[in-house]
Amino acid sequence: MSALTLTLKSAPRQRVDLSPLSAAPELTPAEVAALQVWAGKRRYRIDELFEIEGEDTRNLVLRGDCRKFDYVGRDARDLSLTVAGSVGAYAGMGMRSGTLHVQGDADIFAACELRGGLVRIDGSAGDFVGAALPGDKRGMRGGIVLVKGDVGARCGDQLRRGIVLVEGDAGDWCGSRLIAGTVAVMGRVGKHPGYGLRRGTLLLWQRPESIPPTYGDCGVHTLGFLPLWFAGLRRLDSRFADPANAFDRVHRYGGDLAAVGRGEILIRAG
Amino acid sequence: MLIKLKGGTVYDPAHGIDGQVRDLYVQDGRIVEPPPGARVDREYDLSGKIVMAGAIDMHTHIGGGKVNIARVMLPEDHRADPQYHTERLRSGCGHAAPSTWTTGYRYAEMGFTTAFEPAVLPVNARQAHMEMGDIPILDKGGYAMLGSDDFLLRMLRDGADQKAVNDYVAWTLNATQCIGIKVVNPGGISAFKFNQRALDLDERHEYYGVTPRQILKTLATAVHELGVPHPLHVHGCNLGVPGNVETTLKTITGIEGLPLHLTHIQFHSYGTEGDFKFSSGAARIAEAVNANPNVTVDVGQVLFGQTVTASGDNMRQHANAGHAHPKKWVCMDIECDAGCGVVPFKYRDRNFVNALQWAIGLEIFLLVDDPWRVFLTTDHPNGAPFTSYPHLIRLLMDRTFRNEQLSRLHPEAQKMTTLASIEREYSLYEIAIMTRAGAARLVGLEDRGHLGPGAAADITVYTPDDDVERMFAKPTYVFKDGELVVKDGEIVHVTWGTTHTVKPDYDRAIERSLTDYFDRYLTMKLDNFIISDEEIAEDGRGSVTVHPCGGRG
Ligand SMILES: [Zn+2]
Ligand SMILES: [Zn+2]
Repeated sequence: MSALTLTLKSAPRQRVDLSPLSAAPELTPAEVAALQVWAGKRRYRIDELFEIEGEDTRNLVLRGDCRKFDYVGRDARDLSLTVAGSVGAYAGMGMRSGTLHVQGDADIFAACELRGGLVRIDGSAGDFVGAALPGDKRGMRGGIVLVKGDVGARCGDQLRRGIVLVEGDAGDWCGSRLIAGTVAVMGRVGKHPGYGLRRGTLLLWQRPESIPPTYGDCGVHTLGFLPLWFAGLRRLDSRFADPANAFDRVHRYGGDLAAVGRGEILIRAG
Repeated sequence: MLIKLKGGTVYDPAHGIDGQVRDLYVQDGRIVEPPPGARVDREYDLSGKIVMAGAIDMHTHIGGGKVNIARVMLPEDHRADPQYHTERLRSGCGHAAPSTWTTGYRYAEMGFTTAFEPAVLPVNARQAHMEMGDIPILDKGGYAMLGSDDFLLRMLRDGADQKAVNDYVAWTLNATQCIGIKVVNPGGISAFKFNQRALDLDERHEYYGVTPRQILKTLATAVHELGVPHPLHVHGCNLGVPGNVETTLKTITGIEGLPLHLTHIQFHSYGTEGDFKFSSGAARIAEAVNANPNVTVDVGQVLFGQTVTASGDNMRQHANAGHAHPKKWVCMDIECDAGCGVVPFKYRDRNFVNALQWAIGLEIFLLVDDPWRVFLTTDHPNGAPFTSYPHLIRLLMDRTFRNEQLSRLHPEAQKMTTLASIEREYSLYEIAIMTRAGAARLVGLEDRGHLGPGAAADITVYTPDDDVERMFAKPTYVFKDGELVVKDGEIVHVTWGTTHTVKPDYDRAIERSLTDYFDRYLTMKLDNFIISDEEIAEDGRGSVTVHPCGGRG
């Protein structure tokens, strides 16, 4: 069976909430075509917005300029969704299992409150990757987010469990209020990394401009778990899977002592 | 236009009509005598249907600062419960703290046509009215909050005479466009700011030296002497504290026969018996209410699920903040003259305390004999959102259902309640008293809550159903001021209600000392504090209805 391919007819003028599409695995192609989505104050059928081909509703491909499409893959289960281009805000929000593969960029709140599965963004992502929605107390709580480009500010804000992997740079307040879990950044990170971090780990390839004053310097260590952790990423199509990028020697900073203080910033050493 | 509602089974307790088949005639928004020979323009065949006046919620937090704080603090409450716009209705959202439009729609869809916001801080009254002004269909009104305001506490400290207090109370009612006076944790909201963390009935406010008992007595006297129909509306001391039943009983006897309404009394009916030092004081409270005809109560029933507690009682909300679910809360001062606390909360049936709270509320409903003196509330949203009223009515009317629900609760809580042995089931007539005739009489609405000639044609029609929850959730027709607004539980037409007020007379001399006081201490000038009728009428959508006061002073 070929993937159900939705090709955008023309870019909508209003933003579109595409979350109903997450029900696709339980639906027939005709039912997917009939799903209703909101665009501004109007409702559209999916087939008013997209040309539809193919039949495998567990396997979706979106084509065309989808930057105005929000909530793509929201709360999805066992859905494999590829966006052949860039996507709007809240991509993969609350996703439980399956994969979301964005071949371009993602807007703010990508993979926010993710619960499981893999969200892969080949381009860059906006602020609040893997974070909690405003007002909520817990961000992502399972799964893996892989961003090949850069991420904006507040990456992993209130992250509870799971892994955020950033091959490029991260903005300010990376790992802010992180509750547990791991945020790993190969590129540069902005100001105030690990602000209010409670538990969990911020793993950095490069030394940030400054370490917050509420972190204690614990010196340089060789950590036995790091090779195991890297081994767990081997199957990913990512620089994180390349043994050449792995390491086990880190400079450890404990904190944030202004919060619970049981977490750490680990920076690749030597 | 003359409308005939033909052959419905009418429950109109204000006229002693208990399920009799009657025709009703409606003209120009009012119920009229059958006009001899007049041509009927529209007839509804209501044979087999149940007809009552539109329901009145006499205590529900639907406007004002704390509701907005709850909305701001709980975006998840809105995200999880969106209401999309239709051709007729505007979009909105919210389960525990719904938006204004949604509030109006959901109330009307359940057959409610009037609702009262019980905690209008005078300094925030404009905001409360503007918000309620955006609630469609319903009539509304507010109770102005006094008792922790600096001006009154100074008066009491300085031994001002009752007459001066009466003038201040009357002026406040006029200025804030309210229909009653409410007191919340008398003196306690202020005492909290002086670092007192409890204030029992006879405890002195550290700064003013005034006791809650004095405040209650003075305000109840003022309300009574001014002839305001609604008795002083009291959220007592020690809300939620185990053992507070003693305080509540002392409050009842201490008022010495003056009319008094004790609100959400469920939260004030706790003993300290049993292994968990938490027990039901419902039987003692009900006995006291039964024995004191000057006292009315509404229950503030707890129902299980997620909600938010929003109260002017910053002292008690601060004490309960540790129970916040999700873990976030706000306690704040308001304009140096009041306060509030907003704490989201999830009542759980497997939690001993919550389960017993549920049972205590129902015990009070069932043990207070006179349905004219006990009112159906969940203290929305504090005990549960108002949308759970149909479920609550079923709990009162259907003993089998009630006991089945009871059997699912925390087992220790089941042992601590007599609920299972209470046989009483409310009748439709009694429900109509509690939610219509009684509520209208309590608030002082002479032309609402009944179906006699001259009454506003706020009428709700139900189709009988074995499951009364279903019946009360989805009325067949709702008329508001004679216009059909709901059909089969769905809004078919959006109207705008009036704002009910009282405007008792007072000696204008009070304004002189108030002007000085405002200039010196408050954040706005006296003239800006006073809300005009035009502001409420806005573009003609709203209006002010003034109800008479029979002065006794
Ligand atoms: Zn209250
Ligand atoms: Zn209340």
